[in-house]
Amino acid sequence: MSGKRKGPPPEDVTRRAEEGRTAEGRDVTPAVGRRGQAGGWVRTGEKVALAKERWGDARWSFLYDKDTRYASASANGSVAEAARRARGGGEVPVAVQGPMIHATLWTWEVPVYFFVGGLAAGSSLVSVACDQFGDHEGAELARKLALGAVLPAPLLLIADLGRPARFLNMLRIFKVRSPMSMGAWCLVAFSTTATGAVAADVLGFKRAGRAAGVATALLGSYLGSYTGALLAATATPLWARSRVLLAPIFVCTAAASGAGANRLLQRSGPTREALGHLELLAMGGKLILSPINDRHIGSLAEPLEHHRAYKLSNWAARIGVALRLLRRGGDVPSVLFLASALLTRIAWIEAGKQSAGDDEAVARMARR
Amino acid sequence: MEIAVQRPEAQRMGFFTDTTVCIGCKACEVACKQWNDLPADDLRASLSYDATRELSASTWRHVRFVETLRIPEPEPTLNFVEAALGAQLDRWVFMSDVCKHCTHAGCLDACPTGALIRTEFETVIVQSDVCNGCGYCVPSCPFGVIDRDPYDGRAAKCTLCYDRLEDGLEPACAKACPTDSIQFGPYEELVERAKGRVATLHERGLEGAYLYGAGDEPQDQLAGGLGAFFLLTEPPERYGLPAHADSPIQQNGPIANATGVAAAFVAAGLAFGAFAAAFRKAR
Ligand code: SF4
Ligand code: SF4
Repeated sequence: MSGKRKGPPPEDVTRRAEEGRTAEGRDVTPAVGRRGQAGGWVRTGEKVALAKERWGDARWSFLYDKDTRYASASANGSVAEAARRARGGGEVPVAVQGPMIHATLWTWEVPVYFFVGGLAAGSSLVSVACDQFGDHEGAELARKLALGAVLPAPLLLIADLGRPARFLNMLRIFKVRSPMSMGAWCLVAFSTTATGAVAADVLGFKRAGRAAGVATALLGSYLGSYTGALLAATATPLWARSRVLLAPIFVCTAAASGAGANRLLQRSGPTREALGHLELLAMGGKLILSPINDRHIGSLAEPLEHHRAYKLSNWAARIGVALRLLRRGGDVPSVLFLASALLTRIAWIEAGKQSAGDDEAVARMARR
Repeated sequence: MEIAVQRPEAQRMGFFTDTTVCIGCKACEVACKQWNDLPADDLRASLSYDATRELSASTWRHVRFVETLRIPEPEPTLNFVEAALGAQLDRWVFMSDVCKHCTHAGCLDACPTGALIRTEFETVIVQSDVCNGCGYCVPSCPFGVIDRDPYDGRAAKCTLCYDRLEDGLEPACAKACPTDSIQFGPYEELVERAKGRVATLHERGLEGAYLYGAGDEPQDQLAGGLGAFFLLTEPPERYGLPAHADSPIQQNGPIANATGVAAAFVAAGLAFGAFAAAFRKAR
């Protein structure tokens, strides 16, 4: 049961094939149902023959009443105690009979969205730093890059929806509790200020461009980090147990990819050097935090550690860091860091699906 | 905090599913499909008599067959499941699984469109005209209930027959259940009856009987207490249920957001440091 399926659902095929069939003059087209919603019954306003007020029908058809021995003993403290006995303890006492939970249905659009969103957020940070140190040209470039990176983001998000035409329903409410809602709003706000900043730059309103750049970077602090929180706030064991470090790991890769992309475009000068430092620090951060997290969550990290994209992302990061420390490779480390950032997102999502499908792992996590 | 339908005179309604009287007839599954006009599932071959396997967007009640197997001396048998497994069915327990209508509902907390709401009966429903199929509720349910339909694109799950409740009728599954394994009623009343049932079973020597999701001390509650709770006789994992659960967003969201934004500001500090170093050298 994953993803989206194209074409008419199987029951519609059946219905169409057997439409209009009759037996002894009666219509015997099978009623095979409708997907996605409860039956659309229309109220007639009339009561059915056996209707009773306020669930009287439930009481009327009830087998067990006070005159049965179904629940004759009076409850004492033993009820809560019995539940504590069955649900307590750190070990899963029996073989787990799954399935326990559902894995996410997200496909490739979501990790790619995480990547471009992170890149845009990192770029917005770079623009503020450039402005601060007087490299206004570099800052304008970074702002353009942030806008360019964030432009495909809404398209990716819409493509991932089950009902893309209803995308705007995301902006129906503002829900602080849901990272998905906050993320959608943040994406809208970020795109707006990023567009405003570039427009101001182009039109020559330098101060306005810089101010909008600062606002973009502030929004970027959430855009680059919420994706980790989005995953951590689910029941998937791998993500939920990584709740402390997952978002920081995503921030590291976001900063590294933002700095890397800018460095590829900045051909010379101290800004290029500074971006080199930044991407090195950020990737170094990821290379330190990831193993700490893997150790912390123990065997739950297995699907991640065994995932090919994860291994590749780590090697890309390690080789990039090594090259940079040896002062070799020119642009190669930046490209490697960009690849590593994308692969990290893919690996986390795909490994999460495996983790949710691992009934033993889910059961173990729930035993605390 | 939650989007909820208010009606002062309404009270919390729930399901009490008593697995000790369930005979596994799956009448509730069929009644649910009929009333809610849901399509049939594909038949999937498996090593179990339970062809439904799991709750999904088109299966809102699922009678789980808990088949406890014992590996015996090889012996001729006509039972094809046993023959295939080389084992004997030691115990066969049935449990009619359903959306738990949690007090702290992970799906409801996750939904960015407000499609998932709480009704005046304190149940949780999807408004199918609002849901845009973002899919975030699917991994956010700690019980693996809500699902997105692969053809329709929207999320769907048990509504506790909201339409019937509004008309004063009991949900279709409870109406159809021939053994009253599924009982429906005002929540408090149900919990009282369920507690009495557990005590009765204990008296009769079934020490393992316990309530899953109701009657717990506050610190032991499952997702703040389940609107649809169960009487079980085996450890929860046998039924594919977690031993502990809460809304994942309430559990993990604040921490994850905090460390994420903190990390972003650390990254900003590092960026300024990197620029300061590079520009000092250049000057
Ligand atoms: S069981 Fe799952 S789908 Fe049902 S209310 Fe709880 S979180 Fe939502
Ligand atoms: S799939 Fe629908 S019901 Fe589920 S979180 Fe998204 S909008 Fe809400």
